[in-house]
Amino acid sequence: MFPEILRFGAGALFFLSGLIIFVIEIYGNYRFSYVLNRMHAASIGDSLGIVLCLIGLMIFSGFTFVTLKLAAVAVFLWFSTPVCSHLVAKLETETNDELEQECEVERECRD
Amino acid sequence: MIFVSEGLQKAYEILLIGALYLLGVLLFFCILRTIRGPRVADRILSVNMGGTMTITAITILAVILDEGYLVDISLLYAMISFLAVVVLSRIYRGVYLARKDAARRDPAEEDRESERRGQNVS
Repeated sequence: MFPEILRFGAGALFFLSGLIIFVIEIYGNYRFSYVLNRMHAASIGDSLGIVLCLIGLMIFSGFTFVTLKLAAVAVFLWFSTPVCSHLVAKLETETNDELEQECEVERECRD
Repeated sequence: MIFVSEGLQKAYEILLIGALYLLGVLLFFCILRTIRGPRVADRILSVNMGGTMTITAITILAVILDEGYLVDISLLYAMISFLAVVVLSRIYRGVYLARKDAARRDPAEEDRESERRGQNVS
């Protein structure tokens, strides 16, 4: 009985902190005013929030094959979200003609 | 998931189903950002954000229902979400470059283009 309560407590700690990170992600996404700033808030939830949630769910589900698959999801997301952020930032800096109004741009990087 | 006691089962249900409600509310705000986002990059970013929350919701369902195959579906969802971001950013970059190229070749085209865009905005 006692280890089960301990398992629930440890899992709930990770899981709830992941959900709080998601709320912070959405709040930051509405607080910032430009895409390159919003990307920072979005990347917090995409990398840290989902991994904390998945660690909580791994502790809930016990040591089974499902745990391994949840770890695979987490590893895949850690590889894919930096690539996503890079591509979106590249798209924004290449297609925005008035980038100087939003942030400082070095001359060499612009062309 | 193995439930040992009645009280602990109740606690698991409240936590996981409450998390699903919270994720639903957050997904609504993601969709709102997708509609309101002033630039294309905003929209792509918020679609990616909503995909992450959907993956979390599917894995929560897998743990509640004790169905292991739902985790495979969430892995597939992660791959498709990544592919969507890559393809959409490539497409919009290509569209922008093609428009710029056309405008450089024919200056009158640029006037018509900006006129059309102004109509779209208003």
